[in-house]
Amino acid sequence: MFAAVNTGTMVKNTTHKVVLPFYLYAALSLLAGTIILFFSARSFTYHYFHPHILAIIHIMALGWGTMIILGASHQLVPVLIEKSLYSTRLAYASFILAAIGIPLLVYGFYVFNMGWPAKWGGRFVLLAVLCYVINLYKSLSKSKTKNVHAFFVLTSSLWLLLTVVFGLALVYNFNISFLPKESITYLPLHAHTGVIGWFLLLVTGVGSRLIPMFLISKYKNEKLLWVVYALINGGLLSFVILFLFIPGRSFLLIPVIAVLFALVLFGYYCYESFKLRIRKQVDEQMKTSLLSVLMMAMPLIFLISVAGWLFADKMNERMVLIYGFIIFFGWITAIIFGMTFKTLPFIVWNNVYHDKAGLGKTPNPKELFNNNLFVGMVLIYLAGFILFIIGASFAQAAMLNIAAVLLIIAATLYNWNVIKVLSHKPQKNECNYQ
Amino acid sequence: MNVITNNNIKCTIALAALENVVDPEIGLNVIDLGLIYQLDFDFAKKKIYVTMTLTTQFCPMGESITGAIKRVLENTFIGEVVLLELVFDPPWSFERISEEGQEYLNR
Repeated sequence: MFAAVNTGTMVKNTTHKVVLPFYLYAALSLLAGTIILFFSARSFTYHYFHPHILAIIHIMALGWGTMIILGASHQLVPVLIEKSLYSTRLAYASFILAAIGIPLLVYGFYVFNMGWPAKWGGRFVLLAVLCYVINLYKSLSKSKTKNVHAFFVLTSSLWLLLTVVFGLALVYNFNISFLPKESITYLPLHAHTGVIGWFLLLVTGVGSRLIPMFLISKYKNEKLLWVVYALINGGLLSFVILFLFIPGRSFLLIPVIAVLFALVLFGYYCYESFKLRIRKQVDEQMKTSLLSVLMMAMPLIFLISVAGWLFADKMNERMVLIYGFIIFFGWITAIIFGMTFKTLPFIVWNNVYHDKAGLGKTPNPKELFNNNLFVGMVLIYLAGFILFIIGASFAQAAMLNIAAVLLIIAATLYNWNVIKVLSHKPQKNECNYQ
Repeated sequence: MNVITNNNIKCTIALAALENVVDPEIGLNVIDLGLIYQLDFDFAKKKIYVTMTLTTQFCPMGESITGAIKRVLENTFIGEVVLLELVFDPPWSFERISEEGQEYLNR
């Protein structure tokens, strides 16, 4: 049926007004996280259960990782499920609630006040996640397409919900002991449902859609992705059961192997997508994203090392710290660095130029940010990241401080580029307006 | 490029104009991408019918591309109304990319 523009079968994009605040909040959280890291670098030479480390982990996990993923997924969910987002109001509510809750929670950890700041922070975050899960579920239930990527996204959101509920329970358990053991005992459970269930599952699910799409690859292998899905979820479920109900640690290697195998298969999927790509040139942002796929292996190698210590009953706290640092400052940060500048310029370009395209020359979305700044940021970040691991391994406070300064510089450059994209306005010599 | 039309001359002019509409992510114009299936011209009603597709039904740049095609054709054929229909059957495939387009992507 012809119309002025009959796009009835085309999926409508989520408005940029919903998505962009998440990106800006995440960028500022990264900067705040690296600054707190600088002032708390010495705490990385102690035990991982330290108020400042808990604050850094939560600002990185929630303010940085989760906020940008929530923003991006509001934009990408229609792409994945081939249906428009159910509610923009719920998306706004999710942002506002999380934006209030995260600083409260981080402050609560930093000063180790498990009273009102941590509790109210946790409650707001829980409500934000509930809004997100409801929005996702309603969007999916409208969709006729039940592809593997949609299952990844929905399941990961349920793991996020479980992580947040459990996290809030741990906060309460500090004041009213209602769990059988102390909160610190359950930290591995809380951390891994978040890292594996939320971050890893979502990144593999979304990455398996976006990496071939951005590479313009012919590769498709839904069966392989179902195996990855089953291995990650099976591994994590078995971890939860083993942790809670089976005494002893020797069985914990089973989930580690399951997740490691899932990562190998996902790496193979990315490699095949890369091999069968139509566009031969790969831009810096895709290279960074592909690098982050390789970086997924680093926490696993560390986990196996930590598991080795566990069997020997010689818990090495510093190794646990480095393991956490690699996850949040390594793998998650690398994938976000790459994907920010693959998605954000297009969202802004679509907003600024969607009604001007075809009327004259418009810039390429890649021209909305400074690529040299991006490359510089990645190099400085890698230097800071490696230096920090060395500093934490050998408990060298001075090295940790230098590394933290490099990470602050990288975060500043990231913010600079994000703000440059967000504040983009059409130039006078662009577009011959009618 | 396989574009069905009822007017070869006008179609050639339209396709030349549409070479200015570029998919911003891929960097290829809509003609080399093979997004246009059919272009029909109705002299009496002064209407242009465009049947086209997108690389995927959920292409994030879809609205920009369809809007740009409409604007370019309306600027090329002044006074004519452009009516556009998006179809996904048959779906777009890599085989629809022109030789020039494939050369560009292979660079």
